Amino acid sequence: MHGGEAAGIAFQLGPIPITHAIVVTWGIMVTLACFSWVVTSRLRRDPGSLQTAVEGVVGAIEESISSVLPGHVERVFPFIATIWIFIVLANLIGLMPGIDAPTGDLSVAAALAVLVFLSVHYFGMSIEGFIPYLRHYVAPSPVLLPFHIIGEISRTLTLAVRLFGNMMSLEMAALLVLLVAGFLVPVPLLLLHIVEALIQAYIFGMLALVYLAGAIQTQALRSPSDKG
Amino acid sequence: MELDWTTFGLEILNFLILVWVLKRLLYRPVLKVIADRKADIRNTLSDAERLRKEAQSLREQYENRQEEWNREKDRVRNRMVEEVNAERGRRLTALQASLEEEREKARVVNERRLTDLTRQAEHAAIAQGGQFAARLLTRLVSVDLEARLMEVMLEDLSRIPDERRQAVRAACATSDITVLVTSAHELSQLQRGSLLKAVESFLGRSVSCEWREDKGLLAGIRLSLGPWVLGANLQDELKAFVETAQFAGTAHAS
Repeated sequence: MHGGEAAGIAFQLGPIPITHAIVVTWGIMVTLACFSWVVTSRLRRDPGSLQTAVEGVVGAIEESISSVLPGHVERVFPFIATIWIFIVLANLIGLMPGIDAPTGDLSVAAALAVLVFLSVHYFGMSIEGFIPYLRHYVAPSPVLLPFHIIGEISRTLTLAVRLFGNMMSLEMAALLVLLVAGFLVPVPLLLLHIVEALIQAYIFGMLALVYLAGAIQTQALRSPSDKG
Repeated sequence: MELDWTTFGLEILNFLILVWVLKRLLYRPVLKVIADRKADIRNTLSDAERLRKEAQSLREQYENRQEEWNREKDRVRNRMVEEVNAERGRRLTALQASLEEEREKARVVNERRLTDLTRQAEHAAIAQGGQFAARLLTRLVSVDLEARLMEVMLEDLSRIPDERRQAVRAACATSDITVLVTSAHELSQLQRGSLLKAVESFLGRSVSCEWREDKGLLAGIRLSLGPWVLGANLQDELKAFVETAQFAGTAHAS
């Protein structure tokens, strides 16, 4: 299941082929749902260690979003927080023997990048409206429209390729080192995998947040001049 | 490296489902707990701030009250000092008046005591003078002095005013009285006869006499006509002198 087999089909669900990445994603989803249910069913005003850790993670994400988008935390929090949590788990799950990181699959990385792309426009349009949002692509001059479109496509592409390339290359390198040098030599590489997994998750989520902030704040800045 | 559209679509669907699930199961409850805790903290801070303001207010109120108490205390103390000074002045005045009264009383008592002492001294001096005169006259007693005193008696009887003589006669006429003649020495028959004759002449009728001797008279005669006594002797004269002197001294002192 490693390397070239990561994109392989695990089973067939009727006419729909289910890949290993989807299966692992489902596993992550079930795990997160169960963990969330267990944690939130025991929430107390006087928190235990597990609740403190969960509150710390959620609070840190909220603080990060609040520092970039102070007025829209409640709206974008579920999307950004889910990106961070899912990518961290999806990246780190590749450390488990026999399981490939879903983010090492180009389809999964592209799907996440497209989700970011779509969410940017969704949040931008939901704040200002469809036409006013699209108007910023021709501002300050319609000449810049192709460049805006190229920028949107390229940054979505870079999101997907950056995540996919880093995770796939790390797994590939670890596999190669493991094949060549035995069991103990890849340990530093696996530690690097942990760091890289966290960094890539942070970068992906933060870039998504910045793109969202760019769309929302661009509309917020343009609105007074348009009305004036 | 190939893009699988089925995986792509399912992954998008999975992610949206995961967003929904986590929003329901994780974010909302945890954020609610965090918000509740922040609200509790805000409430606690608000309560603490309110308590602090109340404490500050109470402190200011206490300080104002304490200041008011201090002012009231000063006022009361000043008033009390004034009252004490007034009472002190009043009592000092009363004490001075009382002292003045006591001093006046003491002065009067002292003067009275001095007067008494003076009077006692005068009385003693008069008494001593009387005694001295009595001793001196006792030594000077002689027949001639006796004769002279008899002459004085006879002369006094003859000089008594008529009103007095009539009064004596009226007092002696009601009863049969005996004239008591007391002398320091025994009288001669001639002296007795002269004296009897003078008494009968004075009373205007005949009387009997009883003759007695009393050395205490020193010299001379005492003639008792019922309630009326006529003396021409040294004892009565000295006594009259002493009494007169003492009376004069007492009248002068008062």
